Amino acid sequence: MTKAKSTLTQMNGYGELNKRTTYFKRYWQLYALLSLPILYFLIFRYGPMYGVQIAFKDFNLFQGINGSEWIGLEAFREVFAMNDFYITLRNTFMLNFLDLIVSFPAPIILAIMLYEIRSARFKRISQTILYIPHFISWVIIGGIVYQLFGTQSGMINGLLQGMGFEAIPFLTEKNSWLVTYLFTGVWQSAGWGTILYLAALTGVNKELFEAADVDGASRLRKIWHITLPSIKPTIVTLLILNLGRMVSIGFDRPYIIGNTAVREYSDVLSTFVYRIGLESGQYTLATVVGLFQAVVGLIFILGSNYISKKTTGDGIL
Amino acid sequence: MTGNMRRGVMKKAAGAVLTALMGVSLLSGCGSGSNEGAASDGSGDGKRVTLKVEVFDRGNSPSPHTITNNWLTQYVQKEFGDPNNIDVEFVPVQRSEETTKLNVLMASASDVPDIVFVYDSSVFYRYAQQGGLTDVGELINEHGPNLKEYLGEETLKFGQLEGQQFAIPGKRAITARYNSYIRQDWLDKLNMPAPTTTDELYETLKAFKEKDPGGLGSKNIPMGLALAPSGYEPLIYSFIKPIQGDLTYSQRYELPLHEGFKEAMQFMNKLYNEGLVSQDFSLDEEEEQLAKDFQNGNVGFITEDVGQILYADGVLDNLKKNLPDSEVAAIDTLTNPNADNKYTKSRYGSNGMYIMIPKSSKRSVEAVKYLDWMASGDNLLTMSTGVEGENYVMEDGIPVVKEDAAQEIKDRVYNGGDMAILANGKVIGDQETNEEAWTVGFPKQNQELMRQSIAVANTDTIGPIVFDRPIEAEAKYGTALNDKLKVIIVQSTMAKPDQFEAVYEREMKDFMNIGGAELQKELEQALQEQG
Amino acid sequence: MSERTSNRIFDTVNITFVSLFVIFCLAPFVHTIAVSLSSNRAITSGEVTLWPVEFNWDAYVQVFSDQSMLNSLGFTVILTLATTLLCMLFTIAAAYPLTKGRLKGRKFFMYMIIITMFFSGGIIPEYLLIRDLNMINTVWALILPGLVSPFNLIILISFFKNIPPSLEESAEIDGSSFINTLLRIVLPLSLPVMATLALFYAVGRWNGFQDALMYVTDPQIYPLQLKLFQMVQNNMVTELTQMEGANRAALTPEALKAATVIFATVPILCVYPWLQKYFVSGVMLGAVKG
Repeated sequence: MTKAKSTLTQMNGYGELNKRTTYFKRYWQLYALLSLPILYFLIFRYGPMYGVQIAFKDFNLFQGINGSEWIGLEAFREVFAMNDFYITLRNTFMLNFLDLIVSFPAPIILAIMLYEIRSARFKRISQTILYIPHFISWVIIGGIVYQLFGTQSGMINGLLQGMGFEAIPFLTEKNSWLVTYLFTGVWQSAGWGTILYLAALTGVNKELFEAADVDGASRLRKIWHITLPSIKPTIVTLLILNLGRMVSIGFDRPYIIGNTAVREYSDVLSTFVYRIGLESGQYTLATVVGLFQAVVGLIFILGSNYISKKTTGDGIL
Repeated sequence: MTGNMRRGVMKKAAGAVLTALMGVSLLSGCGSGSNEGAASDGSGDGKRVTLKVEVFDRGNSPSPHTITNNWLTQYVQKEFGDPNNIDVEFVPVQRSEETTKLNVLMASASDVPDIVFVYDSSVFYRYAQQGGLTDVGELINEHGPNLKEYLGEETLKFGQLEGQQFAIPGKRAITARYNSYIRQDWLDKLNMPAPTTTDELYETLKAFKEKDPGGLGSKNIPMGLALAPSGYEPLIYSFIKPIQGDLTYSQRYELPLHEGFKEAMQFMNKLYNEGLVSQDFSLDEEEEQLAKDFQNGNVGFITEDVGQILYADGVLDNLKKNLPDSEVAAIDTLTNPNADNKYTKSRYGSNGMYIMIPKSSKRSVEAVKYLDWMASGDNLLTMSTGVEGENYVMEDGIPVVKEDAAQEIKDRVYNGGDMAILANGKVIGDQETNEEAWTVGFPKQNQELMRQSIAVANTDTIGPIVFDRPIEAEAKYGTALNDKLKVIIVQSTMAKPDQFEAVYEREMKDFMNIGGAELQKELEQALQEQG
Repeated sequence: MSERTSNRIFDTVNITFVSLFVIFCLAPFVHTIAVSLSSNRAITSGEVTLWPVEFNWDAYVQVFSDQSMLNSLGFTVILTLATTLLCMLFTIAAAYPLTKGRLKGRKFFMYMIIITMFFSGGIIPEYLLIRDLNMINTVWALILPGLVSPFNLIILISFFKNIPPSLEESAEIDGSSFINTLLRIVLPLSLPVMATLALFYAVGRWNGFQDALMYVTDPQIYPLQLKLFQMVQNNMVTELTQMEGANRAALTPEALKAATVIFATVPILCVYPWLQKYFVSGVMLGAVKG
């Protein structure tokens, strides 16, 4: 608002001023609405952001951020010289990319399947149950995963061996582990992920279906030509948001589903940061990695938004 | 929109963000840094002061107690606080998040308790290195006669760095650490004697595998193993050559720097590839599967923390319930070819946690007085065990907990172990007394086995070297190396025998690259200085 | 193949697949319930799968007789309600103006918000901010820092944008103010997404405890998940317990852990069916026509 006022006083031409006045007369309500959330962002999000300078300082807990010495880009050099940084970066990309291919479409498909169910009761009950995994913490999921997929003690391998097959090292061989990792991800998040799509599906124009029925279109055709296009904006929004997170990855899932035997694949940036940053107290290095992730994430989200706008017309900005 | 305009917007955005940012950080006082004057002797002027003491919160406070207000906090207030005109305030810290939280508290200066503590020596070194701790040497001389007597020079040494007393180490009641258990009924069935050397153990395990005395088929696990220290450390310690006398480097991740470490890995590789150890050990960091396998009677031999399986309704009791005919014996069998075939095994240092007084604390005198009070009279015993006659009775100088006491009475000391920070375990007197006091806490039927376990665990032990200066590489690389150690163990153990050499060399090279080499250099230098 | 048979095949395949997935999702929950009702011996011996072994209610008796647990439940319910309400108000207030293409500074605000999705100051500056605002050990420390999720905000903007512009324009021509249009037209048309976001916020608050670890030391305002975390996590630090000489027998029994998980999960699970009516197809069109 201050900025608006100052520009206002600078205005000379009466016509210009008049235009401005009508603009604000018309739009002040929107600025009023925005003011509180913006204040929130300034205080709670931008307020602590001076902490970013830790990346350029030899951070000493007791000297505080301002009291610590500047070291320029030294910490960046240190991180970029670490072998583990590249391995964890590669793994982060790899796991996120696989998730994008496998776990991103899963809720879309599931939501459409739920939408196609005719029995309202079955629909209601199954929806409620599909969300349950989202509420179970990874610690508990981890325990269950070991009980199911262990090589010697796991139930699935017990069954396989009972049928005369070789045991599969689902958790200790890195490629099988990838499958297990993806599977648990789909299992945990697909149901929860349907919610947004179901909300979007409520906006589908029923008349289109009636018209298609008259034309004798098959169910799959209707899904392809009516259902999917109507949730396209939601898909695009979520896809862009997801692409923005390509270099960031949650801590719990790779940490808990991962184990030392598959460390080659399961060690990701978040576990790396945890190790060097929180456990070893090297906040400077952790901040450097965080800054790197932020810059790459920002480039990804703006880039994908740009491409999406050009090709589909939808975007988040 | 044109590229040009976009750039313009971004520029403006950046400008506004910076302004906003500066405004707010000015508003919030720009963080910490100001430690207005360190220790003062505030108690003299007769004003009532507040002493803040950290306490671990494990979320196990029984109603109506809370972590900040319970029988023990009241006891402290009444016995120590009121007579000294001090309000003792306890600051709970979640047990599993202690370091993260402590770092943040330290950085905030004003919120940090006057007494804090950690178990992790590298955290202590880091704090000392960054100049955040009070040197309490003089304060102890002046205000802590009981404290000094209780800890003794040997334990105090753990908190000294370059002649300055930056921490007050707690005292460990018992240094016994690991021992081994074997299924005696399996041995009897095969008519074999208990193994007495590593080679004999290997033969015994092979017999367990081939002859399957438990009749278990594919469930048979000759030796139970988990990716936990009690699983791999006893094996490693039975191969490595001590650095000097009966001493090794103190940190777990320093094990690979000892001669003989490779042989240990080779042995584990052999055990794994011949199917003699738990095949899923790399998944079992919490020993849950191991406990399961053992109490279901599938395991022939394990190494464990002393007493770990002997608690009431614990692993052994469950095994007896599941298989009434089973019998377990404590044995000593891992002999070290690199140390005159002795039964070398790790023991704990005589210190417990590192208790520290932050430099920003204005109550360092009161803090030392509090610790001195805790070390005097019966206070430590009361804080860990409760009131004599109500919570315990003395038998031959050993406090025996009254099992028939009312729950309400027992609940008094539910967090006694966490409040009595000066002691790690129950410190009653000398080692032997402490051991006996510990033993009588076990169920009657397991006490004899407990005594044997302790005897085994105390044989041919190897302790940690204590340097009087911090090893910088420990603070810097400790966590990463600790993580790498697990990778070395798992990868070397699980490699195909013909690939062992290559895998081991690759992982060790990595270990050296990420800080191991630097650590080794520093350790050797420190060793020389120490003479 | 007639249209009817192909329809039937589609339905059968569809229902079979969804049912299978439902079973997968239900199994761990059933397992946890079974554990909570079994004896500790049976649990640690690995005998419990989907059915209780040596059935008993002890764990639940213990949970429900723990007054601090019940207090924490009550507190968490109120906290979640308050958080959700405030979060929704702020998110709507931010989202609606940002859908107006003609609003000057819109791009700037969007960038400003998106930047916060990636850059943050880190835990130490965040803690210092909360301290300087005098919010340590207050409920506000659990509500205010997460007031607007940029993620949810962007989703809401994208849904608002999909409302046919003609509806709003006609209202605007009639001279309705923006706030009036928001309340009369935009919000009623957006009930499904609002229900979704409310659910996101509520579940996020319900499941969250990391902020409480940092900002709260007063047991009176421990969220339920923090208590659960203490139980599950504080017990899982083998190396630490070993160092402390603590014994595993003194750790929380598995059955109690499982019972606490159920106790802390069931209330939030009950929220969904209650919101479900907003997901019934056709809400939007119905509202427009009516």
